[in-house]
Amino acid sequence: MNLFPMMLGQVVEESFWKRLPGPALYGFLVLGLLFGIGLCFALSRVPSNMRRWVIVSFTFLAGLPYVAAYLWPIPVAADFQTEIPRNGVESVGFFLNQAMDPVGTITNIIQGFLLGVGFYSLVRIHLTKVKRKQENWGFSIVLLTCFVLMAGFGLRDWQIRTFMDDTGALNVRDNWTFVNYAQDFLFEGLYQQMDSAMFSMIAFFILSAAYRAFRVRSVEATVMMASALILMLNLMGALTFAQGSAINELAGNTNNLFLLNFKINTFADWLRSTMQIPAIRAIDFGVGLGALAMGLRLWLGLEKGGVT
Amino acid sequence: MTIWEKMQKIDRRILYGILVVCVCIGLFFPSTIRTDPDPSSKSFYAAVQKLPKGSTIIVQTDWTNSTRGESLGHFENLMRLLMNGEHKFVFYSAADPAAPQVARTVLARIVAERKSQGLREYKVGEDYVDLGFFPNAEATNTSMGANLKAAWAGRKSKTPSGTEIDIFKTPVLANVNRIEDCQMMIVITASQSIDIAVQRLAQKIDITALVTGVVGPTVLPFYQSDQIKGVAVGLKGVYDIEYLMEYGIDDVKIEGQPYATAGKEGPVPKTEIGTRFSRGRQYYGTLHVALTLLILAVVMGNVAMFAARRRKGEKV
Repeated sequence: MNLFPMMLGQVVEESFWKRLPGPALYGFLVLGLLFGIGLCFALSRVPSNMRRWVIVSFTFLAGLPYVAAYLWPIPVAADFQTEIPRNGVESVGFFLNQAMDPVGTITNIIQGFLLGVGFYSLVRIHLTKVKRKQENWGFSIVLLTCFVLMAGFGLRDWQIRTFMDDTGALNVRDNWTFVNYAQDFLFEGLYQQMDSAMFSMIAFFILSAAYRAFRVRSVEATVMMASALILMLNLMGALTFAQGSAINELAGNTNNLFLLNFKINTFADWLRSTMQIPAIRAIDFGVGLGALAMGLRLWLGLEKGGVT
Repeated sequence: MTIWEKMQKIDRRILYGILVVCVCIGLFFPSTIRTDPDPSSKSFYAAVQKLPKGSTIIVQTDWTNSTRGESLGHFENLMRLLMNGEHKFVFYSAADPAAPQVARTVLARIVAERKSQGLREYKVGEDYVDLGFFPNAEATNTSMGANLKAAWAGRKSKTPSGTEIDIFKTPVLANVNRIEDCQMMIVITASQSIDIAVQRLAQKIDITALVTGVVGPTVLPFYQSDQIKGVAVGLKGVYDIEYLMEYGIDDVKIEGQPYATAGKEGPVPKTEIGTRFSRGRQYYGTLHVALTLLILAVVMGNVAMFAARRRKGEKV
């Protein structure tokens, strides 16, 4: 499928981080492969008491480019593609900027591998369940069957559309093959519809909860209910339009513009902009500070959880 | 047992049945309801309509069918707006592997719809580019801001003739070297991916958003601080955009009389061609029914509680 040349062709300009196809690139590939094998071997030999430091070091190295790129001073309007650095400080800034793309690519690849690990784990657990005929093993067969069918037809459909449909004929449904129909049935007909159905069930729980649990038992609950009521009424365009028109007319007739403040959408706007948004912003600040503190602890290896 | 006590212990299946019946009836009678669109929806519509004809837009589509009630309408409206403005666009997802396929299906339907209306047919590789899925939103948006060409390097696009071409050689991205060369980024999302886009890219490109009702409140602070130029929230947002496509914005005058203009969008024209009312109109009546039911449920539940307490002689 010519994937290898396609991957090599991804480089558009050469930098410290990237090489155009040629002897140097192939040399780096061989070196990288050997280094990777050596690293895997070395990691497997690391004593248990040293493993924490390996994880801490990798975590620090993974976070370093982003932190450095954010903190390192760069010219305000730097054009990294057409300009050249004027001094050492700018050179480091340009170097870090060039690092963003490869680091991002590495992150994406690692995330891809994590998906792979997830697939492997899922299949292993359910195969074991079927093999040992554990409780509800029938559901595991359903899962594995769906897994194989979805992956098989999905991949084949992608392959046909990407590499075998030179004329774009498959854009028209009449030209579809069995594989295309099967993929469409599995993805659109089953998976997506079940996804929608699962989500729509929330409506039933919301109604039931509104009836049983949303009770005016305290001042706080009353304030919350009044706010929710105004915001819900604001979503009902027919009501807000009718009420708003009546207020407009009344304000016009009495020449009293103060009355315009009593429109439902004015109330709702006020609630949103004066109460809701500042509250959310305050929560965001709190969450942000917490995330920053936790991020720093993880990055610097101060957090013991997760790496021990 | 009194009626109030019975109401307190009503079987949930009765509530479910009432919901199903009320919601289903509304779906069969779509109607155009007069409304006053939200200011954030107006800002979104105005921002998109004021783009120069043939602009290049980045569309980050991070939704799947679990939120189709809102996001599908948002995506369809966006496609119609972009196609009416003859804008070129790239679309990708940075949140869900299934999202690009969902977007492709909807896009194909809108293209077919416009073709049946005798309008220009949008073609892959010529008018739009499909970039697929990027697994890590944080890294992807950061890379896009640092170097767009490198972030999307090596991606190929189909052409109308069926061949493949580097995306930067397509008419869509031929003149794009960095993200600032695109006129707008539009994020359609049912998750927090809009937060990442704003954090990483808001200083480089104008961002607007189409979000679900659940995500909406967390996005409004960005709108208030002008970090995003407009946002349509939830099903009301879908209907707002359709309503604005039908009627346009005329904040300057109401019934011919001068009106306050501070903070208003001013006159923005309606769309002249293609479908205007669609999903929003279909579902908006149902939203009224569902909300009325919800309000009634809350009121009835409380009335029953107070009545039962009073009967028992408890302090209300």
